[in-house]
Amino acid sequence: MAKVAREMVEKAGVDVDQLLELLVKNAAAELTTYYYYTILRANLIGLEGEGIKEIAEVARIEDRNHFEALVPRIYELGGKLPDDMKAFHDISACPPARLPKDPTDIKAMLTVLVEAERCAVRGYTHLCNMTAGKDHRTYDLSLSILNEEIEHESWFSEFLGEGPSGHFMRRGETSPFVSKFLR
Amino acid sequence: MQIFTKNELAQYNGKNGAPSFIAYNGKVYDVSDSFLWQNGRHQVLHTTGVDLTANLDQAPHGPDLLDKFPVIGWLEDELGSLIKPGPAPAWEKY
Repeated sequence: MAKVAREMVEKAGVDVDQLLELLVKNAAAELTTYYYYTILRANLIGLEGEGIKEIAEVARIEDRNHFEALVPRIYELGGKLPDDMKAFHDISACPPARLPKDPTDIKAMLTVLVEAERCAVRGYTHLCNMTAGKDHRTYDLSLSILNEEIEHESWFSEFLGEGPSGHFMRRGETSPFVSKFLR
Repeated sequence: MQIFTKNELAQYNGKNGAPSFIAYNGKVYDVSDSFLWQNGRHQVLHTTGVDLTANLDQAPHGPDLLDKFPVIGWLEDELGSLIKPGPAPAWEKY
């Protein structure tokens, strides 16, 4: 634990135990999403599946990176991951991104994907609101993850025909915002 | 549909097998089956069995997320009047 680092956050008025619980819940959401997206990704087959295979894969790997980035901060603040992985799954900040009944229904697949990202956007927005100006390191981390989750949401939303995502697909790199926490 | 006082609503806090109900703008919702309201808690900050109308303005989402939950009653205030829906939250102007 980084004792003084935690003290500074407490002195700024943040309820650190509450913050830790939220960080652990969001870490659970990232790892479980990585798992469920692996199943979704494996089922994106045929001509229609081909079209969204790449962005689903980028989102999958980036969500795993988000988990990796969150874990050190949890321990720095004096927290820990649950001992039991089943319990970890069940405290996720977001519902499981389960495979739809008909995996060949691409719209249903995209709906699962976009709703998972929307839950993440809400979660990290809240973390940013809670830590802005008070816990600079957690804020930096939450903002970095939020930037990538917003991009994920906009990609899937665009494929659903809800409107342009407003940006270009990334090529040759993952986690442009979060990678600095992964060194 | 049932009319709840705040004391009656407080019993539905998701603990010891009780269902989880929340109130918003005078309506009472059953969130018992929601993954995000397990054991009567939501995102560390909120508990069931209460009126969350004032809290929703600070939430990173709007009341539209409540549409998926069944409305099972109405909330009554201390004077025995049904709580009427208040003005639209600030974010709805945009």
